[in-house]
Amino acid sequence: MTPTTDGGRLITGPMLILFAALVTLPFWVQSVGLYQYLGVEVAIWMIYALGFNLLLGYGGLPSFGHGAFLGVGAYAFGLAQFHVLENLWVGLLAAILVGIVAGGIVGLFLAHRRGIYFALLTVAFGQVFWFVSLKWFSVTGGEDGLLGIPRPSADFGLVEFDLSSNLSLYYFTLAVLMIVVVALWRLVHSPFGKVVRAIKQNETRASFLGYNVRLYKWAVFTLSATTAALAGGLFAMAQQSAFPDVMNLVSSGTIVMMVLIGGGFVSFWGPVIGVTVFFVARDVIGSITETWLLWFGLMFMLSVLFKPEGVAGLWQDSSGESPA
Amino acid sequence: MDLVPHIVNGLSLGLLFALIALGFMLIVGVMEVINLAHGSLFALGAYVAMVIINPAFADFGGIYAAYVGLPLPMRYVLAIVVAPALVAVVGMGLEVCMRRTYGKDPLYGLLLTFGAALVLEETIRLIWGPTEQVLTVPQGISGAFLFGGLIYSKYRFFAAAFALLAILLVWLFLERTPYGAVIKAGAHDSEMVRALGINLTRLRLLVFALGTALAALAGIIMTPIWGLRPHVGVDAVVPAFLIIVLGGVGSFWGAVIAGVLVGLAVGLTGSFASQWSLLSMYLLLIAVVTFRARGLFGKKSVLEL
Repeated sequence: MTPTTDGGRLITGPMLILFAALVTLPFWVQSVGLYQYLGVEVAIWMIYALGFNLLLGYGGLPSFGHGAFLGVGAYAFGLAQFHVLENLWVGLLAAILVGIVAGGIVGLFLAHRRGIYFALLTVAFGQVFWFVSLKWFSVTGGEDGLLGIPRPSADFGLVEFDLSSNLSLYYFTLAVLMIVVVALWRLVHSPFGKVVRAIKQNETRASFLGYNVRLYKWAVFTLSATTAALAGGLFAMAQQSAFPDVMNLVSSGTIVMMVLIGGGFVSFWGPVIGVTVFFVARDVIGSITETWLLWFGLMFMLSVLFKPEGVAGLWQDSSGESPA
Repeated sequence: MDLVPHIVNGLSLGLLFALIALGFMLIVGVMEVINLAHGSLFALGAYVAMVIINPAFADFGGIYAAYVGLPLPMRYVLAIVVAPALVAVVGMGLEVCMRRTYGKDPLYGLLLTFGAALVLEETIRLIWGPTEQVLTVPQGISGAFLFGGLIYSKYRFFAAAFALLAILLVWLFLERTPYGAVIKAGAHDSEMVRALGINLTRLRLLVFALGTALAALAGIIMTPIWGLRPHVGVDAVVPAFLIIVLGGVGSFWGAVIAGVLVGLAVGLTGSFASQWSLLSMYLLLIAVVTFRARGLFGKKSVLEL
């Protein structure tokens, strides 16, 4: 997380490498034994994880209830399609707005908490959202979820793209991911991002310097929740449904694991690496043994014990420089 | 509406919640480690007890037949004693892993135990399969009885009484024995305890063993009410941590009172809107913690930093 000379740039080398790899993904993904839809999932989860790392890596605020916002975004997207207008922009806007409102309200309760107490309260809020989505049958469809969510086409006025195939949806998701990457990169290297990092290092000192610590923490939380809700909206479109599952404690914990294994504590790119490791592990180890989560869990424990800086940390050690 | 059965129900549930939280409280109070694997150890205890009560092994020279021939209450008591001891060994293994995280950000302990919870749950799924299992209880404590024109479950009363007994025993251990004094001193100021020549490493190992044994015990007692599946751990760990936060970290009676409060809240909302009953405990927590940051009886703790 050390500032580098790249910090001031809009587009950086690692960004171009990531984008190039992802743009060409549909052409090589099947030849390495994986499948097209995986790309959509990976891109969505990268958006989610990058937003999450704003909170965990940059703010030092561990949330064990972030799945709630992904889920809320997914439901908002679906409900907007059903009850407002079947339109992509309406759906995504609904997801973002609901993310801002839900994140903003929860953030009010959390902004003056630190460390473990913060984590414990996020568990409670995450469970509240999960429980409500499970039981509020008339709106969310309960355990069955919201089914038959459409994939409306992306209408840019002059041109319109049909998103019904996984390939076209992948490129749309990738475009959103690129925007999120550039926006978050700018954000963490802005004065705002520097203050957030200062708060992580020493909250008391930051507040003595005159920064409104609570406001900054609230803003980081809300932004992170909103990013998760946006990812949720895309996820509803990808799955054409929304379920309460993504909101439960284990799912919320999984995003923490991904970001940590990738190296979210030390690098902007940690979440991206972590998501890749997780999905490749799921599909590769998962094709060998059904208990792949057992092995992933062990890998995670070893990572916490011996290398909390994750894959990005290993990379930095071996190259002697920061990949960010 | 007659509230008596709901209050009785809520009180018994509250005592059981307090039992679930007991081991969690001990570990968080003394070592300032949030043991997210508490729920998985709770489940593991119940599974091990199930095997002890109804083993499914090949018969070696009639030993198996002789064992199964023992009366069920005897095997049940054996399970209540042996299963927590075995789970305590697993807990001690976890503590040995935890040692690398001491002195670092408490977040690492939380993450490590989260990983351990996942590993334990998957191991349970691997050994016993994903389907619902049954833990047999002796006849004397199953079934129902009639009191004041209302039907009560016998097992619930047994479980609540057992929980009360366990709470009192742990309290006596902490307050009336030299070991308890050392544990409490360790929670208060571990450096000073070490300076007085007490082996802190062994103390931590002991506390973890005790805390995880209590988790297993709670699992055995709770299973006939909740059922047994690999995922049951999450249903246990969430109320446990919730009760600790509500009662205040490091406060014994805080945890017990919070447990009873949560049980009553769940029981009473159950009488109005049964399917929303579990929501009340989250809302209770959020309401209390918003006004009292350290819970009802909490003191300042390093976990806040």
